[in-house]
Order: sequence, then C-alpha cells, then structure tokens
Amino acid sequence: MMDTFTQLLGGFATAGTPINLLWAFAGCALGTAIGVLPGLGPAVTVAMLLPITGQVEPTASMIFFAGIYYGAMYGGSTTSILLNTPGETGTMVTALEGFKMAKSGRAGAALASAAIGSFVAGTIATVLVTLFAPVLAQFAVQLGPPEYFCLMLLAFTTVSAVLGQSTLRGLTALFFGLALGLIGIDQITAQVRYTAGVLEFMDGIEVVLVAVGLFAVAEALYNALYEGRSPAMMNKMTRAHMTRSEWRRSWPAWLRGTAIGFPFGTIPAGGTEIPTFLSYATERKLASPEHKAEFGTTGAIEGVAGPEAANNAAVTGTLVPLLTLGIPTSVTAAILLSALQNYGINAGPQLFQTSSALVWALIASLYIGNVMLLVLNLPMVGLWVKLLKIPRPQLYAGILIFATVGVYGMRQSSFDLFLMYGLGLLGVVMRRYDFPTAPVIVGLILGPMAEAQMRNALSIGEGSFMVFLERPMSATLLAVVVLVLLVPRLLARRVAV
Amino acid sequence: MDSFEPQAPANHRPGQLALGIGALIVAAVLAWGAMDIPSDAGYAGVGPNFLPWVISAALGLCGVMLIREVLTGGYRQMEEPSGAARGDWRALAWVSAGVLLNASLITTIGFILSCSLCFVFAVRGLRASEGKPAGNLSQTAKDAVTGMLIAAPVYWLFTKLLAVNLPGITAGGWI
Repeated sequence: MMDTFTQLLGGFATAGTPINLLWAFAGCALGTAIGVLPGLGPAVTVAMLLPITGQVEPTASMIFFAGIYYGAMYGGSTTSILLNTPGETGTMVTALEGFKMAKSGRAGAALASAAIGSFVAGTIATVLVTLFAPVLAQFAVQLGPPEYFCLMLLAFTTVSAVLGQSTLRGLTALFFGLALGLIGIDQITAQVRYTAGVLEFMDGIEVVLVAVGLFAVAEALYNALYEGRSPAMMNKMTRAHMTRSEWRRSWPAWLRGTAIGFPFGTIPAGGTEIPTFLSYATERKLASPEHKAEFGTTGAIEGVAGPEAANNAAVTGTLVPLLTLGIPTSVTAAILLSALQNYGINAGPQLFQTSSALVWALIASLYIGNVMLLVLNLPMVGLWVKLLKIPRPQLYAGILIFATVGVYGMRQSSFDLFLMYGLGLLGVVMRRYDFPTAPVIVGLILGPMAEAQMRNALSIGEGSFMVFLERPMSATLLAVVVLVLLVPRLLARRVAV
Repeated sequence: MDSFEPQAPANHRPGQLALGIGALIVAAVLAWGAMDIPSDAGYAGVGPNFLPWVISAALGLCGVMLIREVLTGGYRQMEEPSGAARGDWRALAWVSAGVLLNASLITTIGFILSCSLCFVFAVRGLRASEGKPAGNLSQTAKDAVTGMLIAAPVYWLFTKLLAVNLPGITAGGWI
C-alpha cells in the first residue's frame, strides 16, 4: 500500500515536469477538439499520430495519447448534447436525454453535469486503477500461456458477440480481423504467410492502416455517399451552470454511473455501450415520480449525469486489462497497445516492474488530465462549440490529409495509401450493412498474440488441447466464454416464449 | 435517426447476399493459401497452418449463415443505416479520385501539393453531395489555398518537429 503511494508520487514527479505537462495539455486539448468534431474518434486520432513514436520518448507520448483518449470522451458529450450526433459510441446514451435538455433550453446544465460527472467518475476510476492494477499485475504474473489464451478468447467473444446488434455479423468481422492478422511472418516459426509475394505484406498489416481506413477514410466516403442531405441542426448554447436542485439530482447519478462503468471497463468484456445503457436504465428506474416524466420528453439531468460518469469510468477501467494483462478491450486501447509495441515495450504483468516509471507517470497524468479537462470543458466550452461551425466538406476533406500523414508517415509507402482506400470502401460497406468494426481491430492486434499463446500452451500440454481444461483457471475462463455466448441467447429465447 | 426525409426504404438484400458471398470468397482464399503453409508443428502439435485453417473454416461458416439469413428474410437485428436510401455515387467518385490521386502522386509532387489536390477533389465531391454547386474556378482556387493552408503546416509540424518522414520535392524540405 505504502509502496503504491511512493510509486504514485514518483509518477507525479515524472508527469509533473513542464514538458510532460505540456504533452498532457496538448493531448487533452486535441482530444476535446476531436471529441467535439464529428467524424474523428480517439482511436483514429491516436492511430494517425502513431508515427510520432519514432521521435517522442515513450512516457511523453503515452501521456499525450491518454490525454487524447480522455479528452475525446469529454468532448464527445458536447456534440451529443448540442448536435444529437454522438461523436463516440460511449456518448450515444448522453444524446438521448442531453439533446432533449438542450432543446428545451437547458444545454448549459446538461454540459455542466456531463463535464463534472466525467471528472468525478474519471478521478474515482483513476483511484481504483491506482489501487487495483498493481495487485492484479502481481496476480497476473502467475498466469501461463493457457490462461492468457483463454483470456484473449474471452476478449474476442465479448467484443464480437456481446457488443453490437448481431452475434453473427460481429463474429464475421472478428474472423476477418483475425485473417488480416495472419498476413506476414508467423511469430513462432518465422513462416511467411499470405503475402502473395508482395513485399509490403511481409511486415504484416499495420493496425494504424486498418483503423484509419475503416474509420477516417470510410467516414469521409460514407458522408459523400449517403449523408449529404441529412439535415444538421444545432441546439442553442446556454451558459454552463447547474442549479442547486440539479446538483442534488446529479451527484447520486454520477456515483452510480461510476460504480456501473468501472467494472465493465476492467473485465475483458469491455466497451462503453453496455455500462452506459445500464446506467441510463438505472437512472430512469430510480428517478422520483416528478422527474420521471422528464425522461424522453424535456430531458432529465440524471440521464446525462449517470451515463456520462459510466462512460468515463469504463474508459479508465479499460486501462486495467491493458496495463496488467496487455489485453486491449476497446479500439483505442488496441491502438495504445500498438504504440507500446512500437517502443518494443510488451504490455503485460511485467510492465509494472520493467516500465514502472512509465506506468506510474501515465497513471499520475490521468489525475492531472482530469483536472485539465474539467477546466477545458466547463469555462471554455463555448470555444469548442465553435468547432462545430466548420462546414462538413472542409472537415472531412481535411481529415483525409491527416489520414495520409498517419498512414504514409508510418513506413513511407504509397502502397499503404491504396490499401487505406480499399479499407475505407470496406468500412462504408460494413457501416451500411451494420457490421461492427471494433472486432476487426481487436482481432487484428490480438490475433497474432493469441496464436502465439495458444501454440505455447499446446507445447506445455505436449500437443494436447486438454491443457486448456486441465488447469483450473483456464477451464474457468473457458466456461465464462461459453456462458457469454449462451446466456444472452437463452434469455432472448425465454423472453420470446 | 428519425430526422431524415421519408424515402422508400432501400432494398438491402442484394448487398447482404454479396457480403455473405464475400465472406465465403475470403474463406476460400484463406484455405487456398493455407495449403501452401507447412505444418511442421514441433512440440506444439499444431503448426503455422493451424490457425489459417481454423479461421478459414469459421469465416466460411459465417458466410453460409449470412447467406441463410438473407434467404430467410434478410439480416437479423438490422439497424436501418443512417443517411439517404440511395447513394450519391458521383460525390463518392470525386472523393475517391482525390484519395487515389494522392496515393499515386505523393512521391512525385510531394506531400503538400498532393494533399492539397486530394483536398480540392474531396471538398468538391462532398459539397456536391449536399446538393450545392460543386464550385466554379474561383471556388476551386479557394479550395486549393485552403488545402495548402492545412497541408503545409501539418507537413512542417510532422517533418521538422516530429521527424516523421513525409515526401517533399525540394532539398530543404519546406515544400
């Protein structure tokens, strides 16, 4: 316990240097901006900026990237409330009540409750990360390849089968991502696979390329193709301010949202959709009769406060499996993992020993970042709202320039730019036919790792698949995987009957 | 979601079928490639060709299931996609041309010019998709300047400050 505290202080010393504070601030500001702007999320922004890992030292760039990740969550709620086009899946629920509040002239209260709720939840969740991550890392050191493989299997299952509308389409996306991950050199035997003699394929398909193609380029293409005539309407801004009664209604919702969001972030069943919806349902149920009528009509502040808190707590929670197990449970976490890989740092339980300075500086920067973001998003919210005035054609065309920087800057190959366009088209089709894209990214980055763990595990078991069942921990995890796949179906069947 | 103008809902089934077939094709390509991968397994019992076969089989199964869904009434739990029922293919062509020109020319004419060109094409397409005039000569010139005003600082920021390698055409690296 004491140890954790000294380590954290050390982290604050590192994160508090002027240059790192500057990186944190740049990240938070940039994150807020891209959160506010429709069409760009934290994942694709971090992906486009990955080439800087060649020059910037690891601690600074991780602080910067984490700031973007965090900032986007704060900024995303602003867009949800004012525009009703959530910039992020996690802020989808905020749009439900927040947009209605803004419509009835209470935009300021909704924005304030969202920003302060994000701060409260983010800070509590960071405290929880500080307390639990080292403990979990210590435990995780004992896990062997079979357990790791099962954990990854669980991450695959939850990302593709639980999130999104249809399990089948989620799994199709996942296997497509896994297939992309096969391209290149096999980690264990150095066997070349699926390169078709193309030199660029030898190094494998970069996650940056896929993320930028599937998100940024696809977004621009989709907008040109389908969204041109969709009317955009914007609510009127009011001063960010909450009355005493709004405070009283907000804070229990913030705490409940945090309690719901954090656990969902930490288990490899990540994602922010489920906790935000759960939090919304809870608030709606618990609301006092006189406030219940506001839900879905004039907008209830609890419906903004709870989900926003849940969102931020879950986002912070995803850092736990990322830092302690090396398992990303969201697209942004997957990109952060690939940033670490660029530095030759293996995320996993050893991270707390081998790169403890980096990890603690990162955690400390989360505390600092939350304060910065509160300031950036409360008094200065009007500034960010101006970004929404950028006309759509210029915005998306500009995004294409940044996409070029990210993809070309990675390894100076114009072949990658053609590939990026192809993935952009694929992204359009996937969006049109309601295929989730997150499983592609998670499959691509976790696939090769899972394969290596599986084959190492089988080596331990001398070639027998029984090794996964004989070890209690991995057998338990496998059982959980089966439950995750089956329970929602059984429930649906019972409801149907 | 509920705000766009009423139009006849698009028929998604041909596209859905195509995607199911697409999954089958990818599965077949994976299987075809997997035949060339050696299977020497060492202690593990499974070699580098094991996962390719598994993924090929799984993707094939997904393809079959998708096609089955299409034949029995279309994809399940479909959320109606956002935006218009019919695509604006001309707008798409403009944006595509921008991206592809950029990919083909970036090494020859440098990052700034190539990206500005991409910007001009993309803005034109996106503006046309909104039903506005795509732009006369002076508008195009304005777009070109805007594109350069974005691309040039980005180029300097990344090449000079962050040492990311982006193609230029002058030795000094400012253009």
